[in-house]
Amino acid sequence: MSAELRIEGLVVAPPGTTPVLRGVELAVPAGERAVLAGPSGAGKTTLLRAIAGLEDPAAGTIALGGSDQTGVPAHRRRMAMVFQDPRLLPHASVLDNIALPLRAAGVKRAERRRLAGEQLEEVGMAAFAERRVAGLSGGEAQRVALARALCAEPELLLLDEPLAALDPRRREALRRLIAELQERRSLTCLIVTHDRAEAAELGQSLALMIEGRIVQHDDPRTIFERPATRAVARFFGASNLLELPEHPGRVLAIRPEHVAIGSGTLRATVLESVYRGTQVALALDWQGRRIEALIDPADAPAAGATIAFELPAERLWAIPQTADERDLELRE
Amino acid sequence: MSRSPAKRVAAPLAVALLALPLTVLVAQAFADVWRAPGVLPDELGWRGFELAFERAGAGEALLNSVVIGLLATALALVVGWPAARVLGQRLLPRNGLIFLLLALPLLMPPYLAGFGLTEWFIRLGLDDSLAGIVLAHLTFVLPYAIVILLSGFTARVDELEEMARVAGAGWLARLRLVTVPSLRPTIAAAALLAFLVSWSQYGTTLAVGAGRPTLPIVMLPFVRTDPQVAAALALVFLAPCLLALALAARAQRSPL
Repeated sequence: MSAELRIEGLVVAPPGTTPVLRGVELAVPAGERAVLAGPSGAGKTTLLRAIAGLEDPAAGTIALGGSDQTGVPAHRRRMAMVFQDPRLLPHASVLDNIALPLRAAGVKRAERRRLAGEQLEEVGMAAFAERRVAGLSGGEAQRVALARALCAEPELLLLDEPLAALDPRRREALRRLIAELQERRSLTCLIVTHDRAEAAELGQSLALMIEGRIVQHDDPRTIFERPATRAVARFFGASNLLELPEHPGRVLAIRPEHVAIGSGTLRATVLESVYRGTQVALALDWQGRRIEALIDPADAPAAGATIAFELPAERLWAIPQTADERDLELRE
Repeated sequence: MSRSPAKRVAAPLAVALLALPLTVLVAQAFADVWRAPGVLPDELGWRGFELAFERAGAGEALLNSVVIGLLATALALVVGWPAARVLGQRLLPRNGLIFLLLALPLLMPPYLAGFGLTEWFIRLGLDDSLAGIVLAHLTFVLPYAIVILLSGFTARVDELEEMARVAGAGWLARLRLVTVPSLRPTIAAAALLAFLVSWSQYGTTLAVGAGRPTLPIVMLPFVRTDPQVAAALALVFLAPCLLALALAARAQRSPL
Protein backbone atom coordinates (compact mmCIF):
# COMPACT_ATOMS: atom_id res chain seq x y z
CA MET A 1 0.00 0.00 0.00
CA SER A 2 2.65 2.41 1.15
CA ALA A 3 4.94 4.02 -1.40
CA GLU A 4 8.27 5.82 -1.51
CA LEU A 5 8.24 9.59 -1.93
CA ARG A 6 11.05 11.09 -3.99
CA ILE A 7 11.29 14.79 -4.73
CA GLU A 8 13.91 16.13 -7.11
CA GLY A 9 14.81 19.72 -8.01
CA LEU A 10 11.41 21.04 -6.93
CA VAL A 11 10.91 24.77 -7.52
CA VAL A 12 7.75 26.63 -6.54
CA ALA A 13 7.71 30.29 -7.47
CA PRO A 14 4.38 32.10 -7.32
CA PRO A 15 4.27 34.78 -10.03
CA GLY A 16 5.57 38.16 -8.92
CA THR A 17 7.28 36.94 -5.75
CA THR A 18 10.61 35.39 -4.84
CA PRO A 19 10.71 31.57 -5.13
CA VAL A 20 9.40 29.78 -2.05
CA LEU A 21 10.97 26.41 -2.89
CA ARG A 22 14.37 26.61 -4.55
CA GLY A 23 15.34 23.14 -5.65
CA VAL A 24 14.08 20.75 -2.97
CA GLU A 25 15.64 17.27 -2.83
CA LEU A 26 13.95 14.86 -0.45
CA ALA A 27 13.47 11.09 -0.35
CA VAL A 28 11.25 9.31 2.17
CA PRO A 29 11.43 5.49 1.93
CA ALA A 30 8.16 3.53 1.90
CA GLY A 31 6.76 3.11 5.40
CA GLU A 32 8.96 5.76 7.03
CA ARG A 33 7.70 8.58 9.20
CA ALA A 34 9.73 11.64 8.26
CA VAL A 35 9.51 15.05 9.86
CA LEU A 36 10.05 18.24 7.91
CA ALA A 37 11.22 20.94 10.32
CA GLY A 38 12.32 24.49 9.84
CA PRO A 39 11.73 28.09 10.90
CA SER A 40 8.53 29.92 9.93
CA GLY A 41 8.55 31.00 6.31
CA ALA A 42 11.08 28.37 5.22
CA GLY A 43 8.59 26.86 2.76
CA LYS A 44 7.53 23.73 4.70
CA THR A 45 3.81 24.15 4.16
CA THR A 46 4.36 25.08 0.51
CA LEU A 47 6.31 21.84 0.00
CA LEU A 48 3.49 19.83 1.57
CA ARG A 49 0.90 21.62 -0.59
CA ALA A 50 2.99 21.03 -3.72
CA ILE A 51 3.21 17.31 -2.90
CA ALA A 52 -0.57 17.20 -2.41
CA GLY A 53 -1.14 19.04 -5.70
CA LEU A 54 -2.38 22.32 -4.24
CA GLU A 55 0.58 24.31 -5.61
CA ASP A 56 1.97 24.09 -9.14
CA PRO A 57 5.72 23.62 -9.29
CA ALA A 58 7.74 25.61 -11.82
CA ALA A 59 10.29 22.79 -12.10
CA GLY A 60 11.19 19.44 -10.63
CA THR A 61 9.46 16.12 -10.00
CA ILE A 62 7.40 14.62 -7.19
CA ALA A 63 7.43 10.84 -7.53
CA LEU A 64 5.24 8.53 -5.46
CA GLY A 65 6.14 4.88 -5.80
CA GLY A 66 8.22 5.74 -8.85
CA SER A 67 5.54 7.59 -10.82
CA ASP A 68 5.72 11.35 -11.30
CA GLN A 69 2.73 13.18 -9.83
CA THR A 70 3.37 16.70 -11.10
CA GLY A 71 0.78 16.49 -13.88
CA VAL A 72 -1.79 14.62 -11.79
CA PRO A 73 -4.69 16.69 -10.37
CA ALA A 74 -4.87 16.83 -6.57
CA HIS A 75 -7.98 14.67 -6.29
CA ARG A 76 -6.37 11.82 -8.25
CA ARG A 77 -3.19 11.61 -6.17
CA ARG A 78 -3.18 8.71 -3.73
CA MET A 79 -2.37 10.95 -0.80
CA ALA A 80 -4.19 12.34 2.19
CA MET A 81 -3.48 15.48 4.17
CA VAL A 82 -4.22 16.65 7.69
CA PHE A 83 -4.17 20.44 7.82
CA GLN A 84 -3.17 22.62 10.75
CA ASP A 85 -6.84 23.33 11.45
CA PRO A 86 -9.11 20.31 11.10
CA ARG A 87 -11.18 21.70 8.19
CA LEU A 88 -14.30 19.71 9.00
CA LEU A 89 -17.56 20.27 7.11
CA PRO A 90 -19.85 22.12 9.55
CA HIS A 91 -23.03 20.87 7.88
CA ALA A 92 -22.17 17.17 8.18
CA SER A 93 -21.98 14.73 11.10
CA VAL A 94 -18.66 13.39 12.39
CA LEU A 95 -19.18 10.10 10.54
CA ASP A 96 -20.09 11.84 7.25
CA ASN A 97 -16.98 14.00 7.58
CA ILE A 98 -14.80 10.93 7.88
CA ALA A 99 -16.60 9.24 4.98
CA LEU A 100 -15.96 12.18 2.62
CA PRO A 101 -13.07 10.51 0.71
CA LEU A 102 -15.17 7.35 0.34
CA ARG A 103 -18.14 9.35 -0.91
CA ALA A 104 -15.91 11.14 -3.41
CA ALA A 105 -14.66 7.73 -4.57
CA GLY A 106 -18.23 6.51 -5.11
CA VAL A 107 -18.36 3.92 -2.30
CA LYS A 108 -21.94 2.84 -1.45
CA ARG A 109 -23.58 4.26 1.66
CA ALA A 110 -23.66 1.15 3.83
CA GLU A 111 -20.05 0.26 3.05
CA ARG A 112 -19.05 3.88 3.56
CA ARG A 113 -20.59 4.01 7.03
CA ARG A 114 -18.98 0.72 8.03
CA LEU A 115 -15.48 1.79 6.94
CA ALA A 116 -15.80 5.29 8.41
CA GLY A 117 -17.05 3.74 11.66
CA GLU A 118 -13.94 1.56 11.83
CA GLN A 119 -11.69 4.59 11.37
CA LEU A 120 -13.59 6.48 14.02
CA GLU A 121 -13.00 3.64 16.44
CA GLU A 122 -9.28 3.62 15.64
CA VAL A 123 -8.92 7.24 16.67
CA GLY A 124 -10.94 6.55 19.84
CA MET A 125 -14.01 8.59 18.91
CA ALA A 126 -16.62 5.86 18.29
CA ALA A 127 -19.14 7.58 20.58
CA PHE A 128 -19.10 10.74 18.45
CA ALA A 129 -20.31 9.24 15.14
CA GLU A 130 -23.64 11.05 14.84
CA ARG A 131 -22.53 14.28 16.49
CA ARG A 132 -22.28 17.56 14.69
CA VAL A 133 -18.74 18.84 14.40
CA ALA A 134 -19.54 22.23 15.96
CA GLY A 135 -19.28 20.92 19.53
CA LEU A 136 -15.94 19.13 19.19
CA SER A 137 -12.84 20.31 21.05
CA GLY A 138 -9.66 21.08 19.10
CA GLY A 139 -8.16 17.69 19.90
CA GLU A 140 -11.33 15.77 19.02
CA ALA A 141 -11.70 17.66 15.74
CA GLN A 142 -8.10 16.89 14.79
CA ARG A 143 -8.70 13.18 15.53
CA VAL A 144 -11.68 13.27 13.18
CA ALA A 145 -9.48 14.93 10.53
CA LEU A 146 -6.89 12.18 11.04
CA ALA A 147 -9.56 9.47 10.68
CA ARG A 148 -10.80 11.16 7.48
CA ALA A 149 -7.27 11.16 6.05
CA LEU A 150 -6.76 7.46 6.89
CA CYS A 151 -10.19 6.61 5.45
CA ALA A 152 -8.87 7.42 1.98
CA GLU A 153 -6.32 4.57 2.36
CA PRO A 154 -3.55 6.82 1.05
CA GLU A 155 -0.10 5.70 -0.05
CA LEU A 156 1.31 8.84 1.54
CA LEU A 157 0.02 10.78 4.53
CA LEU A 158 0.89 14.48 4.82
CA LEU A 159 0.44 16.28 8.14
CA ASP A 160 0.84 20.06 8.39
CA GLU A 161 1.58 21.04 12.01
CA PRO A 162 -1.19 18.70 13.23
CA LEU A 163 -0.49 19.39 16.91
CA ALA A 164 0.08 23.14 16.74
CA ALA A 165 -3.35 24.20 17.98
CA LEU A 166 -3.51 21.78 20.94
CA ASP A 167 -2.61 22.11 24.61
CA PRO A 168 0.39 20.04 25.83
CA ARG A 169 -1.58 17.10 27.25
CA ARG A 170 -3.75 16.58 24.13
CA ARG A 171 -0.71 17.18 21.97
CA GLU A 172 1.10 14.27 23.60
CA ALA A 173 -1.91 11.94 23.19
CA LEU A 174 -2.39 12.81 19.53
CA ARG A 175 1.35 12.51 18.86
CA ARG A 176 1.27 8.95 20.19
CA LEU A 177 -1.85 8.16 18.18
CA ILE A 178 -0.29 9.39 14.94
CA ALA A 179 2.85 7.32 15.51
CA GLU A 180 0.82 4.23 16.46
CA LEU A 181 -1.51 4.39 13.45
CA GLN A 182 1.37 5.11 11.09
CA GLU A 183 3.38 2.15 12.38
CA ARG A 184 0.41 -0.24 12.30
CA ARG A 185 -0.06 0.44 8.58
CA SER A 186 3.61 1.15 7.88
CA LEU A 187 2.34 4.19 6.07
CA THR A 188 4.76 6.61 4.42
CA CYS A 189 4.31 9.83 6.30
CA LEU A 190 5.64 13.39 6.07
CA ILE A 191 4.95 15.65 9.03
CA VAL A 192 5.64 19.37 9.10
CA THR A 193 6.53 21.07 12.37
CA HIS A 194 8.41 24.15 13.51
CA ASP A 195 8.90 22.72 17.01
CA ARG A 196 12.23 20.94 17.42
CA ALA A 197 11.20 18.77 20.36
CA GLU A 198 8.14 17.59 18.44
CA ALA A 199 10.35 16.95 15.42
CA ALA A 200 12.65 14.69 17.44
CA GLU A 201 9.75 12.81 19.02
CA LEU A 202 7.74 12.27 15.84
CA GLY A 203 10.38 11.66 13.21
CA GLN A 204 12.12 8.43 12.34
CA SER A 205 14.07 10.71 10.07
CA LEU A 206 14.32 14.45 10.21
CA ALA A 207 14.71 16.94 7.37
CA LEU A 208 15.50 20.58 8.01
CA MET A 209 14.34 23.16 5.50
CA ILE A 210 15.81 26.64 5.40
CA GLU A 211 14.95 29.25 2.79
CA GLY A 212 13.32 26.83 0.41
CA ARG A 213 15.96 24.10 0.49
CA ILE A 214 16.50 20.92 2.50
CA VAL A 215 19.84 21.48 4.24
CA GLN A 216 20.09 18.15 6.07
CA HIS A 217 18.06 14.94 6.20
CA ASP A 218 19.20 12.35 8.77
CA ASP A 219 18.07 10.40 11.79
CA PRO A 220 17.15 12.69 14.72
CA ARG A 221 20.24 11.94 16.81
CA THR A 222 22.64 12.79 13.99
CA ILE A 223 20.78 16.02 13.27
CA PHE A 224 20.84 17.07 16.92
CA GLU A 225 24.45 16.11 17.64
CA ARG A 226 26.19 16.24 14.28
CA PRO A 227 24.60 19.16 12.40
CA ALA A 228 25.85 19.60 8.83
CA THR A 229 25.71 23.38 8.86
CA ARG A 230 25.54 26.26 11.33
CA ALA A 231 21.91 26.86 10.45
CA VAL A 232 21.03 23.24 11.32
CA ALA A 233 22.99 23.53 14.57
CA ARG A 234 21.23 26.73 15.51
CA PHE A 235 17.74 25.45 14.67
CA PHE A 236 18.14 22.28 16.72
CA GLY A 237 19.62 24.11 19.69
CA ALA A 238 23.36 23.51 19.35
CA SER A 239 23.61 27.21 19.99
CA ASN A 240 27.34 27.44 20.84
CA LEU A 241 29.17 27.88 17.53
CA LEU A 242 32.83 28.62 18.15
CA GLU A 243 35.59 29.57 15.73
CA LEU A 244 38.84 28.77 17.53
CA PRO A 245 42.38 29.55 16.31
CA GLU A 246 43.36 25.89 16.94
CA HIS A 247 40.75 24.75 14.40
CA PRO A 248 41.08 26.98 11.32
CA GLY A 249 38.35 26.76 8.66
CA ARG A 250 35.90 24.95 10.92
CA VAL A 251 33.17 25.81 13.36
CA LEU A 252 32.86 23.87 16.58
CA ALA A 253 29.32 23.19 17.77
CA ILE A 254 28.36 22.16 21.29
CA ARG A 255 24.91 21.98 22.85
CA PRO A 256 24.34 24.11 26.02
CA GLU A 257 23.52 20.98 28.07
CA HIS A 258 26.93 19.48 27.15
CA VAL A 259 29.04 22.38 28.50
CA ALA A 260 30.57 21.13 31.78
CA ILE A 261 30.42 23.78 34.53
CA GLY A 262 32.51 23.77 37.73
CA SER A 263 35.47 21.76 36.53
CA GLY A 264 38.21 22.06 33.93
CA THR A 265 40.87 24.53 32.97
CA LEU A 266 38.86 27.21 31.18
CA ARG A 267 37.65 30.34 33.02
CA ALA A 268 34.61 32.47 32.20
CA THR A 269 32.45 35.23 33.72
CA VAL A 270 28.74 34.61 34.21
CA LEU A 271 26.78 37.28 32.28
CA GLU A 272 23.27 36.00 32.92
CA SER A 273 21.73 33.33 35.10
CA VAL A 274 18.07 32.64 34.28
CA TYR A 275 16.00 30.22 36.36
CA ARG A 276 13.86 28.00 34.08
CA GLY A 277 12.22 25.68 36.60
CA THR A 278 14.09 22.44 35.96
CA GLN A 279 17.33 24.09 34.88
CA VAL A 280 19.21 27.35 35.01
CA ALA A 281 20.29 28.88 31.70
CA LEU A 282 23.71 30.53 31.93
CA ALA A 283 25.28 32.96 29.51
CA LEU A 284 29.07 33.01 29.91
CA ASP A 285 31.70 35.40 28.62
CA TRP A 286 34.81 33.49 27.59
CA GLN A 287 37.53 35.74 26.14
CA GLY A 288 34.93 37.85 24.37
CA ARG A 289 32.90 34.85 23.14
CA ARG A 290 29.40 34.18 24.41
CA ILE A 291 28.75 30.62 25.56
CA GLU A 292 25.39 29.24 26.63
CA ALA A 293 25.11 26.46 29.18
CA LEU A 294 22.39 24.63 31.11
CA ILE A 295 22.95 23.56 34.71
CA ASP A 296 21.06 22.09 37.66
CA PRO A 297 19.56 24.92 39.79
CA ALA A 298 21.37 23.60 42.91
CA ASP A 299 24.79 24.19 41.30
CA ALA A 300 24.00 27.46 39.53
CA PRO A 301 26.46 30.35 40.03
CA ALA A 302 25.17 33.92 40.30
CA ALA A 303 25.65 36.55 37.61
CA GLY A 304 29.07 38.22 37.85
CA ALA A 305 30.86 35.17 39.27
CA THR A 306 33.98 33.75 37.66
CA ILE A 307 33.73 29.99 37.11
CA ALA A 308 35.71 27.07 35.76
CA PHE A 309 34.27 25.17 32.80
CA GLU A 310 35.17 22.67 30.14
CA LEU A 311 34.15 21.84 26.57
CA PRO A 312 34.33 18.00 26.59
CA ALA A 313 36.14 16.92 23.42
CA GLU A 314 33.74 14.02 22.79
CA ARG A 315 30.81 16.47 22.76
CA LEU A 316 32.36 18.90 20.32
CA TRP A 317 31.33 18.57 16.68
CA ALA A 318 33.26 20.27 13.92
CA ILE A 319 31.13 21.71 11.13
CA PRO A 320 33.02 21.98 7.87
CA GLN A 321 32.60 25.48 6.45
CA THR A 322 31.55 25.05 2.85
CA ALA A 323 30.90 27.77 0.29
CA ASP A 324 27.20 26.99 0.33
CA GLU A 325 27.10 27.45 4.07
CA ARG A 326 28.85 30.84 3.93
CA ASP A 327 26.31 31.88 1.34
CA LEU A 328 23.47 30.96 3.68
CA GLU A 329 25.09 32.76 6.60
CA LEU A 330 25.42 35.96 4.62
CA ARG A 331 21.74 36.08 3.80
CA GLU A 332 20.52 35.48 7.34
CA MET B 1 -35.79 31.01 29.39
CA SER B 2 -36.98 34.16 31.15
CA ARG B 3 -37.77 37.22 29.10
CA SER B 4 -37.07 40.76 30.16
CA PRO B 5 -40.08 43.13 30.54
CA ALA B 6 -38.75 45.22 27.66
CA LYS B 7 -38.85 42.19 25.38
CA ARG B 8 -42.30 41.25 26.59
CA VAL B 9 -43.59 44.62 25.46
CA ALA B 10 -41.39 45.14 22.42
CA ALA B 11 -42.08 41.87 20.61
CA PRO B 12 -45.88 42.16 20.43
CA LEU B 13 -45.56 45.85 19.62
CA ALA B 14 -43.31 45.09 16.65
CA VAL B 15 -45.71 42.41 15.45
CA ALA B 16 -48.65 44.80 15.81
CA LEU B 17 -46.87 47.53 13.86
CA LEU B 18 -46.10 45.10 11.05
CA ALA B 19 -49.52 43.54 11.13
CA LEU B 20 -51.50 46.80 11.10
CA PRO B 21 -51.19 47.61 7.37
CA LEU B 22 -51.80 43.95 6.58
CA THR B 23 -54.97 43.95 8.69
CA VAL B 24 -56.30 47.00 6.85
CA LEU B 25 -55.47 45.31 3.55
CA VAL B 26 -57.29 42.13 4.54
CA ALA B 27 -60.30 44.14 5.75
CA GLN B 28 -60.34 46.10 2.49
CA ALA B 29 -60.12 42.97 0.35
CA PHE B 30 -63.12 41.35 2.02
CA ALA B 31 -65.20 44.54 2.48
CA ASP B 32 -68.00 44.28 -0.03
CA VAL B 33 -69.63 47.31 1.60
CA TRP B 34 -67.63 49.77 3.72
CA ARG B 35 -69.33 53.14 4.21
CA ALA B 36 -67.34 56.27 5.03
CA PRO B 37 -67.47 56.97 8.79
CA GLY B 38 -67.39 53.27 9.82
CA VAL B 39 -64.16 51.98 11.32
CA LEU B 40 -65.09 48.39 10.39
CA PRO B 41 -66.53 47.11 7.07
CA ASP B 42 -70.31 46.89 6.88
CA GLU B 43 -70.53 43.74 4.78
CA LEU B 44 -67.90 41.06 4.17
CA GLY B 45 -67.71 38.94 1.02
CA TRP B 46 -65.68 37.51 -1.86
CA ARG B 47 -66.50 40.21 -4.43
CA GLY B 48 -62.91 41.50 -4.54
CA PHE B 49 -61.41 38.09 -5.29
CA GLU B 50 -64.16 37.17 -7.76
CA LEU B 51 -63.54 40.31 -9.75
CA ALA B 52 -59.76 39.95 -9.43
CA PHE B 53 -59.79 36.50 -11.00
CA GLU B 54 -62.73 36.91 -13.40
CA ARG B 55 -62.26 40.43 -14.71
CA ALA B 56 -58.63 41.33 -13.95
CA GLY B 57 -57.18 37.94 -14.97
CA ALA B 58 -55.31 37.40 -11.71
CA GLY B 59 -54.94 33.67 -12.48
CA GLU B 60 -52.95 34.14 -15.66
CA ALA B 61 -50.98 37.01 -14.13
CA LEU B 62 -50.13 34.90 -11.07
CA LEU B 63 -48.93 32.03 -13.24
CA ASN B 64 -46.87 34.39 -15.41
CA SER B 65 -45.31 36.06 -12.37
CA VAL B 66 -44.43 32.73 -10.75
CA VAL B 67 -42.88 31.31 -13.93
CA ILE B 68 -40.95 34.51 -14.67
CA GLY B 69 -39.83 34.85 -11.03
CA LEU B 70 -38.60 31.26 -10.78
CA LEU B 71 -36.79 31.38 -14.14
CA ALA B 72 -35.17 34.74 -13.35
CA THR B 73 -34.09 33.43 -9.92
CA ALA B 74 -32.61 30.23 -11.32
CA LEU B 75 -30.80 32.09 -14.10
CA ALA B 76 -29.50 34.74 -11.72
CA LEU B 77 -28.05 32.07 -9.40
CA VAL B 78 -26.40 30.15 -12.23
CA VAL B 79 -25.05 33.20 -14.08
CA GLY B 80 -24.25 35.11 -10.89
CA TRP B 81 -22.38 32.23 -9.22
CA PRO B 82 -19.08 32.47 -11.14
CA ALA B 83 -19.18 36.26 -11.09
CA ALA B 84 -19.81 36.30 -7.35
CA ARG B 85 -16.99 33.80 -6.81
CA VAL B 86 -14.47 35.90 -8.73
CA LEU B 87 -15.57 39.12 -7.02
CA GLY B 88 -15.90 37.56 -3.55
CA GLN B 89 -12.40 36.16 -3.62
CA ARG B 90 -10.98 39.36 -5.11
CA LEU B 91 -9.27 37.55 -7.94
CA LEU B 92 -9.40 40.56 -10.26
CA PRO B 93 -7.16 43.63 -10.13
CA ARG B 94 -10.02 46.19 -10.39
CA ASN B 95 -12.53 44.45 -8.18
CA GLY B 96 -14.32 47.62 -7.07
CA LEU B 97 -14.72 48.97 -10.60
CA ILE B 98 -16.21 45.73 -11.93
CA PHE B 99 -18.56 45.59 -8.98
CA LEU B 100 -19.69 49.13 -9.76
CA LEU B 101 -20.33 48.28 -13.42
CA LEU B 102 -22.41 45.28 -12.34
CA ALA B 103 -24.48 47.43 -10.00
CA LEU B 104 -24.99 50.20 -12.58
CA PRO B 105 -28.38 48.95 -13.85
CA LEU B 106 -29.78 49.45 -10.36
CA LEU B 107 -29.34 53.21 -10.76
CA MET B 108 -31.51 53.31 -13.89
CA PRO B 109 -35.31 53.77 -13.82
CA PRO B 110 -36.71 50.30 -14.68
CA TYR B 111 -39.02 51.57 -17.39
CA LEU B 112 -36.08 53.21 -19.19
CA ALA B 113 -33.99 50.04 -18.94
CA GLY B 114 -36.91 48.05 -20.32
CA PHE B 115 -37.53 50.62 -23.06
CA GLY B 116 -33.92 50.38 -24.22
CA LEU B 117 -34.02 46.60 -24.17
CA THR B 118 -37.27 46.49 -26.18
CA GLU B 119 -35.57 48.05 -29.20
CA TRP B 120 -32.98 45.34 -29.10
CA PHE B 121 -35.38 42.50 -28.25
CA ILE B 122 -37.58 43.34 -31.28
CA ARG B 123 -34.56 42.85 -33.53
CA LEU B 124 -33.73 39.56 -31.76
CA GLY B 125 -37.33 38.40 -31.90
CA LEU B 126 -37.54 38.28 -28.10
CA ASP B 127 -40.20 40.99 -27.66
CA ASP B 128 -43.63 39.95 -26.40
CA SER B 129 -42.30 36.67 -24.94
CA LEU B 130 -41.78 35.27 -21.44
CA ALA B 131 -38.08 34.80 -22.27
CA GLY B 132 -37.80 38.49 -23.08
CA ILE B 133 -39.39 39.49 -19.77
CA VAL B 134 -37.12 37.09 -17.85
CA LEU B 135 -34.03 38.57 -19.52
CA ALA B 136 -35.22 42.11 -18.85
CA HIS B 137 -35.82 41.24 -15.18
CA LEU B 138 -32.30 39.82 -14.99
CA THR B 139 -30.95 43.36 -15.52
CA PHE B 140 -32.12 44.10 -11.97
CA VAL B 141 -32.23 40.63 -10.46
CA LEU B 142 -28.64 39.68 -11.32
CA PRO B 143 -26.84 42.53 -9.49
CA TYR B 144 -28.78 41.77 -6.30
CA ALA B 145 -28.05 38.05 -6.59
CA ILE B 146 -24.34 38.71 -7.12
CA VAL B 147 -24.06 41.21 -4.26
CA ILE B 148 -25.50 38.67 -1.84
CA LEU B 149 -23.75 35.59 -3.22
CA LEU B 150 -20.27 37.13 -3.13
CA SER B 151 -20.45 37.54 0.64
CA GLY B 152 -20.65 33.74 0.90
CA PHE B 153 -17.34 33.04 -0.85
CA THR B 154 -15.09 33.38 2.18
CA ALA B 155 -11.57 32.09 2.72
CA ARG B 156 -13.11 29.32 4.83
CA VAL B 157 -14.95 27.95 1.78
CA ASP B 158 -11.63 27.90 -0.09
CA GLU B 159 -10.01 25.95 2.72
CA LEU B 160 -12.80 23.38 2.80
CA GLU B 161 -12.65 22.97 -0.99
CA GLU B 162 -8.89 22.45 -0.79
CA MET B 163 -9.41 19.80 1.87
CA ALA B 164 -11.97 18.08 -0.36
CA ARG B 165 -9.60 18.17 -3.34
CA VAL B 166 -6.91 16.34 -1.41
CA ALA B 167 -9.60 13.97 -0.10
CA GLY B 168 -10.23 12.92 -3.69
CA ALA B 169 -13.25 15.02 -4.66
CA GLY B 170 -13.43 16.26 -8.27
CA TRP B 171 -15.12 19.58 -9.10
CA LEU B 172 -18.66 18.21 -9.22
CA ALA B 173 -18.29 16.32 -5.93
CA ARG B 174 -16.77 19.44 -4.34
CA LEU B 175 -19.66 21.59 -5.55
CA ARG B 176 -22.24 19.11 -4.27
CA LEU B 177 -20.64 18.05 -0.99
CA VAL B 178 -18.74 21.16 0.09
CA THR B 179 -19.43 24.44 -1.72
CA VAL B 180 -23.21 24.46 -2.05
CA PRO B 181 -23.88 23.15 1.49
CA SER B 182 -21.40 25.69 2.90
CA LEU B 183 -23.12 28.54 1.05
CA ARG B 184 -26.67 27.33 1.70
CA PRO B 185 -27.82 30.31 3.81
CA THR B 186 -26.28 32.75 1.33
CA ILE B 187 -27.86 30.98 -1.63
CA ALA B 188 -31.22 31.05 0.13
CA ALA B 189 -30.95 34.79 0.78
CA ALA B 190 -29.85 35.47 -2.80
CA ALA B 191 -32.69 33.36 -4.21
CA LEU B 192 -35.25 35.09 -1.99
CA LEU B 193 -34.16 38.56 -3.00
CA ALA B 194 -33.86 37.60 -6.68
CA PHE B 195 -37.41 36.24 -6.63
CA LEU B 196 -38.79 39.28 -4.84
CA VAL B 197 -37.06 41.72 -7.20
CA SER B 198 -38.46 39.91 -10.24
CA TRP B 199 -41.86 39.58 -8.55
CA SER B 200 -42.26 43.32 -8.06
CA GLN B 201 -40.93 44.47 -11.45
CA TYR B 202 -43.42 46.81 -13.08
CA GLY B 203 -41.68 49.17 -15.50
CA THR B 204 -39.48 46.59 -17.24
CA THR B 205 -42.37 44.16 -17.71
CA LEU B 206 -44.56 46.94 -19.08
CA ALA B 207 -41.88 48.07 -21.56
CA VAL B 208 -40.74 44.65 -22.79
CA GLY B 209 -43.81 42.48 -22.31
CA ALA B 210 -46.17 44.19 -24.81
CA GLY B 211 -49.09 43.97 -22.42
CA ARG B 212 -48.39 40.44 -21.20
CA PRO B 213 -49.94 40.43 -17.69
CA THR B 214 -48.02 39.92 -14.48
CA LEU B 215 -49.43 40.67 -11.02
CA PRO B 216 -48.04 44.23 -10.66
CA ILE B 217 -49.30 45.04 -14.16
CA VAL B 218 -52.89 43.95 -13.48
CA MET B 219 -52.97 45.36 -9.95
CA LEU B 220 -51.99 48.95 -10.53
CA PRO B 221 -55.02 50.11 -12.59
CA PHE B 222 -57.37 48.97 -9.80
CA VAL B 223 -55.71 51.04 -7.08
CA ARG B 224 -57.71 54.12 -8.13
CA THR B 225 -60.77 52.52 -9.72
CA ASP B 226 -61.66 49.70 -7.32
CA PRO B 227 -59.67 49.55 -4.05
CA GLN B 228 -61.32 46.27 -3.04
CA VAL B 229 -60.06 44.45 -6.14
CA ALA B 230 -56.64 46.08 -5.70
CA ALA B 231 -56.51 44.86 -2.08
CA ALA B 232 -57.53 41.34 -3.13
CA LEU B 233 -54.82 41.36 -5.80
CA ALA B 234 -52.32 42.65 -3.24
CA LEU B 235 -53.06 39.66 -1.03
CA VAL B 236 -52.58 37.33 -4.03
CA PHE B 237 -49.33 39.22 -4.64
CA LEU B 238 -48.24 38.81 -1.04
CA ALA B 239 -48.85 35.06 -0.61
CA PRO B 240 -45.96 33.70 -2.75
CA CYS B 241 -43.62 36.28 -1.18
CA LEU B 242 -44.41 34.98 2.29
CA LEU B 243 -43.93 31.41 1.06
CA ALA B 244 -40.52 32.34 -0.43
CA LEU B 245 -39.59 34.07 2.83
CA ALA B 246 -40.52 31.00 4.88
CA LEU B 247 -38.52 28.71 2.60
CA ALA B 248 -35.49 31.00 2.76
CA ALA B 249 -35.73 31.25 6.56
CA ARG B 250 -35.69 27.44 6.80
CA ALA B 251 -32.58 27.22 4.64
CA GLN B 252 -30.86 29.83 6.82
CA ARG B 253 -30.34 27.31 9.58
CA SER B 254 -26.89 26.11 8.63
CA PRO B 255 -23.63 26.81 10.43
CA LEU B 256 -20.36 27.99 8.95
